[in-house]
Amino acid sequence: MNTAHWLVCCLLAQMLPAGPIELARGTVTVGGDVTATFGAKDDTAFFNFTDYENNALRMFRVSLTANWRPSEQFAVVTDIRSEDLERVIPYALYARVRPWKSRPFDIQVGRIPPVFGAFARRSYGTDNPLIGYPLAYQYLTSIRPDAIPATADDLLFMRARGWRATYPVGSPEPAPGVPLISAYRWDTGVEAHATGGVFDFSGAVTVGTLSNPRVTDDNRGRQYSGRVAATPVVGLVLGLSGSRGAFVDRALADAYGTGGRGEFPQDALGMDAEYSRGYWLVRGEAIWNHWHLPVIGAPQITDPLSARSAFVESRYRLGPRYFVAARVDRLTFSKVTGVRLYNGQPTPWDAPVTRVEAGGGVYLQRNLTLRGVIQRNWRDAGRVLDKTYLSAQISFWF
Amino acid sequence: MRIPALCALVAVLVSPLSRPMALGPGRSETAALNSGDRVGATGAIRGRIDVRVTLAPAAARPDPGALSMAAMRDPIDRRKSVVYLDPAPQAAFEASEQRRARMDQRDERFVPHVLAIVAGTWVDFPNDDKTYHNVFSLSKTQEFNLGRYAVGHSKAIRFENPGIVRVFCDIHSHMSAFILVFAHRYFAVTDDEGRYRIDGVPPGTYTVAVWNETVRGDPPRRTVAIGEGGGDVDADFSIK
Repeated sequence: MNTAHWLVCCLLAQMLPAGPIELARGTVTVGGDVTATFGAKDDTAFFNFTDYENNALRMFRVSLTANWRPSEQFAVVTDIRSEDLERVIPYALYARVRPWKSRPFDIQVGRIPPVFGAFARRSYGTDNPLIGYPLAYQYLTSIRPDAIPATADDLLFMRARGWRATYPVGSPEPAPGVPLISAYRWDTGVEAHATGGVFDFSGAVTVGTLSNPRVTDDNRGRQYSGRVAATPVVGLVLGLSGSRGAFVDRALADAYGTGGRGEFPQDALGMDAEYSRGYWLVRGEAIWNHWHLPVIGAPQITDPLSARSAFVESRYRLGPRYFVAARVDRLTFSKVTGVRLYNGQPTPWDAPVTRVEAGGGVYLQRNLTLRGVIQRNWRDAGRVLDKTYLSAQISFWF
Repeated sequence: MRIPALCALVAVLVSPLSRPMALGPGRSETAALNSGDRVGATGAIRGRIDVRVTLAPAAARPDPGALSMAAMRDPIDRRKSVVYLDPAPQAAFEASEQRRARMDQRDERFVPHVLAIVAGTWVDFPNDDKTYHNVFSLSKTQEFNLGRYAVGHSKAIRFENPGIVRVFCDIHSHMSAFILVFAHRYFAVTDDEGRYRIDGVPPGTYTVAVWNETVRGDPPRRTVAIGEGGGDVDADFSIK
């Protein structure tokens, strides 16, 4: 951070209120999260990178949220974020409508929260018990929508290089790959949500996909996603999600496909669960994901490229101020067979990763939390096969 | 992240509401004025607290990740005040009977929003809602965390020390309440019209103070005297 950033931080810290700000007779509510995460530089392993330059374990993040609700049945919601004070990104901006006052049915239009899974909709500063993200939502695989491998060898060559992947077909510029589900961008489209008894239904039509949310469309079809959740008893939530949407860039799909809409999709199936009672909170998610890429050259990538991820996390409140938390996380990939690499043996197309993160925190005040974690990562390939990170974070919300 | 950012965040203001406030026996210099240990006719202090604040809804943080419209909530009545004697008659500290009070969790709010009790009182926190709640406080007067418990269940905690306890729900950020714990029984919570009445006050001269959540800094005070024959004394306040 330079001097200007430091001054902005000081100014911000002095101005932060103790609770959400109400304006216009309570029709406008403004909240925010300020999170400063401290950790060592990582120029070799990139386990926690969210793109080229931003590291989730070493980041200053400001998020401002606002809700304008002029009537009981209409609201406009926005979330504006900046990471490391570099850019300001409208993370969410949508209108929410409840057509029938007495029915729990809502429609949201704009840059909307994902209906798939559970993690991406949570508020990072207040609802993430640790500092790092689950692998499925953050770890950059070597897949890109705008550049694709011509052969299995091209793909295998990029194993463990998702932070900066290049391929011979499509964009020649090196760029980060995508995670299974992006926790850093939301998609644009329409979604509907309804509640009936213990069930919760939501569905969305968007222009991007889980791994590549978009504001403007760059592919040859829409993504359709949905989630059914049940709350059989208070404190237990079980969710089942599915999605399918055109993933590969339109120009590439046109060049190597048959012209069908929704060709070369990403499809995914997810299960999530949360249980809390007393001082315990336990969550878990499992995701099965497939990317369908064009078949171009030999050795061919004939099957969809699969990635599976699962994590379990838990938090225990030791007392009014203290908590401990841990997450165990695994990300694996299906196998492809090259010729030049790995002796022609079937090999996972990206390097499987295991992550264990544990830590604790203290509530300095209700909305000011200090956390510390140790995170250990193991990867089956790449320049760095395993690495341990220590990270501390202070977060404030209002 | 660098150190300056940490320093900047640590500089974040500490809410004035979390500062402890003297609700105990009071200051020694004014205690000399009291004659509460006398036995005889008692009086009452009554009046009205005119709190001129706008009723605001219970502001919930915007939740962009929510998939549905949150229910509209009734405004919290921030006009509720607690009127108390500071200091109180000396005899006030002799009572030690077991007391019990109740603060419900209903429609994602604490009911009542303001509760005044004597130190040593057990307060029940029944969950009468449709969802989990997690009642906690980080107040210096008393820290506690009751954990998550479901509808129909209740947990209780004994408030031992005089002071102000700010109560929250760990799950619903818009839920908050105040518990004022006194070392004596000479206090009253105002009714819906802002009226109050403190009965059984022995003859003497007292300072009447008013607590209201909208007041920052020292509470409004007024000196009143109860004559030897008892009787009612009026003490009105206006809070803007």
